[in-house]
Amino acid sequence: MASDYWLSKLMIDLLQPETAAAYNADRDAVLAKYKLKPELRSAIVADDVAGLAPHVNAYLLRFHFQRLGWKDADFIAALRALKPETAHG
Amino acid sequence: MAELVGVFAAGHAPLIARDWDQIPEARRTPLAAAYDELGRRLKAARPDIVVEIAPDHWVNFFLDNLPSVCIGVGEEHDGPPEPFMIKAYPHHTLPGHAAFGRHLLETALAHDFEPAFSHRLRLDHGFCIPLWRMKLDPPPAIVPLIVNDIEAPMPSIARCAAWGHLLRRAIETYPENLRVAVLASGGLSHSVGEPTMGRIYEDFDHECIALFASGEEKTLIDFLTDGIPRAGNGADEIRNWVVAHTAAGGKGFELISYLPVPEVYVGCGFASWNVA
Repeated sequence: MASDYWLSKLMIDLLQPETAAAYNADRDAVLAKYKLKPELRSAIVADDVAGLAPHVNAYLLRFHFQRLGWKDADFIAALRALKPETAHG
Repeated sequence: MAELVGVFAAGHAPLIARDWDQIPEARRTPLAAAYDELGRRLKAARPDIVVEIAPDHWVNFFLDNLPSVCIGVGEEHDGPPEPFMIKAYPHHTLPGHAAFGRHLLETALAHDFEPAFSHRLRLDHGFCIPLWRMKLDPPPAIVPLIVNDIEAPMPSIARCAAWGHLLRRAIETYPENLRVAVLASGGLSHSVGEPTMGRIYEDFDHECIALFASGEEKTLIDFLTDGIPRAGNGADEIRNWVVAHTAAGGKGFELISYLPVPEVYVGCGFASWNVA
């Protein structure tokens, strides 16, 4: 599956401390700048690995959940719940 | 004319820098020894420049503009931006080699390759972990050759083999005396951010190594084209080894070490190709 541009853009922007700070201060205001599909907006708000993984580069997904402070074991457990063919490489 | 004085390959992983001390000694010691040996060989080759082939982990390029191949043609490049790398390899800049970078670019264009080029790249952990662990400090002059190993669609394995031949041609036609080493960074099998994350495909890696050793290009290309998609997304970085392999010219291959290191999620390979 091809990467979703706006989800990918949000994730890479959130790696910048100033964007992450703005997101933490006013999440809706930051999300309004990205043309996210409703289901992806819900997934990002819910930290839903399974909902996000098929739509974004796997490295960006890892960087995102690292930034959120997830332990690798928890991230891997969430990934394991996905069927391999639904994940995005 | 320039001279190819060494061709090498090494794995990388962020956790090698971030959590080096957390790697159990039984694996950390041979890992350190493998990088040391590769560093020793590279230094013994006395290169003036190192053409380093590595992926870009989203620090230079994004979906807005993502080249399949990019040549660094700058006089210098920026050091690694990742905080864990800034501690490990604290170089704000690394020297480049504009003249050879430009020659490689022009050679490519003259032979119907259309790479991107950059006068200033950020060299992330993919470039700098081998440099750091191989104790190449101060850094040598680097001509970065970024191959998209990260986001599909990626260059075919056959095209990466063609890039290696082209790199060799560029070295052979460079008009000045220059000692050139090639260093491929990445691989072997690993899986990052996908359901198989953490899995290392040792059988695949051993078969890979055997094919690099056999030197038979067509068989290697066919095997990797078929097998990489089943060996974790990190195995896409074996493209960089393929560039190194064909640049070396088929004069022999020596595995220095193969270490599957679960703590860093990577089947780490270390190799040297014969050039004489």
